[in-house]
Amino acid sequence: MDNIWETLGRIYENGVFIYGTVLLVTYALLAIFSMISVRAYAKRDNVDQLNTLLSSPLAPGITVLAPAFNEGLTIIFNVRSLLTLNYPRYEIIIVNDGSTDNSLEQMIEEFQLVPVDFAYNAKIQTKPVRKIYKSSNPAYAKLMVIDKVNGKSKADAVNAGINAAAYPHFVCTDVDCILDKNTLLELIKPVMQEEKKRVIATGATLRIANSCEFDQGVMTRMRPPRQLLPRFQEVEYIRAFVLGKMGWTLLNCVPNVSGGLGLFDKEIAIRSGGYDHSSFGEDMELMTRMCRYAHDNKIEYAIRYIPKTLCWTEAPVTVKIFNRQRTRWARGLAQLMYAHFGMFLNPRYGRMGMIIFPYNFFFELLAPIIEFTGIIYYIVMGIFGLINWPTALILLLFVYTYSVMITTIAILWDQLSFKYYRTWKEVAFLCLTPFMEFFLYHPLIVIFALRGYWYFLTGKKSTWGNMQRRGFQQTPKPAATAAAAK
Amino acid sequence: MEFSFYEFRYAPLSIQIAGIFIVVAIVCTLLAYFSILVGRYRAYRQSERLKKLHPIIDEQLMEHILLNEELASDVPADQVQLPLESFQQPVFEKKWARQALIDRLIHYRNNVRGSMGEQLRNLYIQLDLDKDSLKKMKSRKWERKVQGLAEMSNMNMSIADVTILPLTNSNNRELRAAARHAYIKLSKNEPFKFFDVVTEPLLLWDQVELFKIISTTEHIAIPNFAQWITYSSNKSIVSFCLKLVVHYNQLSAVPAVIRLLDTKDHYVRADAINCLGKMKVEDVEEKLVHMYNSQPLNCRLEILKALGRISSGKYVDFLRQEFLHATDFEVRKHAAKSLINNKWAAKGLIQELIDTATAENKLILKHSMNPLIKF
Repeated sequence: MDNIWETLGRIYENGVFIYGTVLLVTYALLAIFSMISVRAYAKRDNVDQLNTLLSSPLAPGITVLAPAFNEGLTIIFNVRSLLTLNYPRYEIIIVNDGSTDNSLEQMIEEFQLVPVDFAYNAKIQTKPVRKIYKSSNPAYAKLMVIDKVNGKSKADAVNAGINAAAYPHFVCTDVDCILDKNTLLELIKPVMQEEKKRVIATGATLRIANSCEFDQGVMTRMRPPRQLLPRFQEVEYIRAFVLGKMGWTLLNCVPNVSGGLGLFDKEIAIRSGGYDHSSFGEDMELMTRMCRYAHDNKIEYAIRYIPKTLCWTEAPVTVKIFNRQRTRWARGLAQLMYAHFGMFLNPRYGRMGMIIFPYNFFFELLAPIIEFTGIIYYIVMGIFGLINWPTALILLLFVYTYSVMITTIAILWDQLSFKYYRTWKEVAFLCLTPFMEFFLYHPLIVIFALRGYWYFLTGKKSTWGNMQRRGFQQTPKPAATAAAAK
Repeated sequence: MEFSFYEFRYAPLSIQIAGIFIVVAIVCTLLAYFSILVGRYRAYRQSERLKKLHPIIDEQLMEHILLNEELASDVPADQVQLPLESFQQPVFEKKWARQALIDRLIHYRNNVRGSMGEQLRNLYIQLDLDKDSLKKMKSRKWERKVQGLAEMSNMNMSIADVTILPLTNSNNRELRAAARHAYIKLSKNEPFKFFDVVTEPLLLWDQVELFKIISTTEHIAIPNFAQWITYSSNKSIVSFCLKLVVHYNQLSAVPAVIRLLDTKDHYVRADAINCLGKMKVEDVEEKLVHMYNSQPLNCRLEILKALGRISSGKYVDFLRQEFLHATDFEVRKHAAKSLINNKWAAKGLIQELIDTATAENKLILKHSMNPLIKF
């Protein structure tokens, strides 16, 4: 009997060792690939190009879609931010997804909206649209507001926006996100510059808005978040976008374009069926379906990412809200893997089936489970006194130093290409965060992911709900500051 | 220490590897910090240097060129003395300072014309800054080549066709684009000659950049684009020329565009229909209506749009037919829009349609009539 346990233990240990080694090698490769991509992007980046496109009558039209559910605290501020975007041909569609607060009334009043007889064609089925509004003020001619019955998901709201979109590309963002004024110019560039493939989606780096300063919806000063939980998320975003997504983009293997900001090919999105309203990870699910559609129809496609930060989003500041967000993400991942498991290691789906899916399955879906079983194994071994502590500590130190190194490299790539933070103190502040991440932040991620999987397995009911916004920090106006000083 | 090394040497392989990687990770992390520090320091130093240098350059340029009364009254640049000695300071022997000077000269040259612009160019030549740009063009790095090409073309310096034409077909997209821009701007004889030699498709981005160069370059001889519309085998060149035909309202190219209606490629055909609609070529309406039923959806939509743009009032019944009987929502919407555009000839008909149409068709008509809705 002892022998069986011993053998099982050895198999587990060796399995985890191989798993860990492959994961670490993958991260090392991603670090190298991302360096190549980020450098190539930085070399090609040129402000003059943006100005050329800005004044061009040949620029392709883009629809900006922003679903809103009870965003009354920041809705006016955010719509104003969208109205300041630089682009020659674009429209903004705000989808009020049955908000129970006064979001719609605020918009009607602020932007002088009037109901219009809009020929709405439901190419993708959604909950009924109640009314569509346009502004009677020519200054807001780009703005359209769709008021619809709550569909209990962001996906349903965005689908309604896609149905009403006039242009061949749409940018999907959250209404609480603040976009860089050149976002549309930057996102359409890879679509227009691709030589042989059809770019079906483009994404860009997202950052945390919590301690940044904004003026009338425009980011004026970027800072790493002062609070610990958002700061962990800032570091995580830098690692995920600058290192992860940029590494994958070199191989044309981007697994997902973030729901916070992404530009999509409308035709492919509609033909793929739009966002799945029953999914908790609707952004990743749509991307997977678009890739699947492209493969099934022999369309040579590409998904591109750019390392520039174009979007700032408010991060959860309490563990409770953070828990809700991450549980939802994990549940979405589990749903996605279950729904599209036919693509797993299926050569018919090219890199999607042979690289992206296995990576997501082994190193995104299984990682929290393996980590959790590892901890249990450690505890059991500890109880029976079977742990060689010096060896265990060396291995722990190895994983710790390696994770700090990978995150620091991501910060380095970001810093070498774009110096977003004004002072070196802010960078130093950010560089210290990875040292705590391993002990304080990572365990939370694992627990919330497991919770998400549990909800998926048990089919617990849940909605996309409200993130409980606090609003953004405004740049103090000189007059207001003087008055406050008196 | 000796004891630890002994222990490590006889530890299992995985522990030895882990030990080595711990050292590597710590060294890499420290190197990353160092690189961040160095990167920030360099950027800071460069910005401080430029902060000091820019006012010096600006002051000299203001005094001797931009506020020069003779140049302001358009005295030819070659009759006004150049302030060379002002720029022969030791700082301008340094590479970064010469680059800053080139950038500043280009910046000002983009904002002034006439004798002042000419004098800025003279200064660029007299200070041998053109040699710096030429050197960049000979570099093996594509980004340096692009920089050199951009500087030369901004300063209107001629480059031999043999040097530049091969670059217009380079594998590197940025280099290819920069060479094409420079060629259009600098070629004295045939600025559009590279249209004949382009083998790769013109990307949409290339088209945007070329369009700007062509439409903003002064004294450029605009050719008849019909020659490429008729003879080019490169579809993207044809498509781009159609856009230029619309921009320059080049009526002489219309017969060539009409011939394109028989092309097999339906994307090019749709572009040709779009071009004819935007140029309001009334004579082509009959042919468009005649070919309508045999066309794919993109061409049919373009035909409907063209009928709306031309707005001759002759095909109101055809539009009504499509609006009432087409099954595709987009077709009905575009037919309705074109009907509204032809309303001077179909006032009664539109009212009749509003009164009798189905709820959905009525909504489409109201949509098309609402000035707040553009599409």
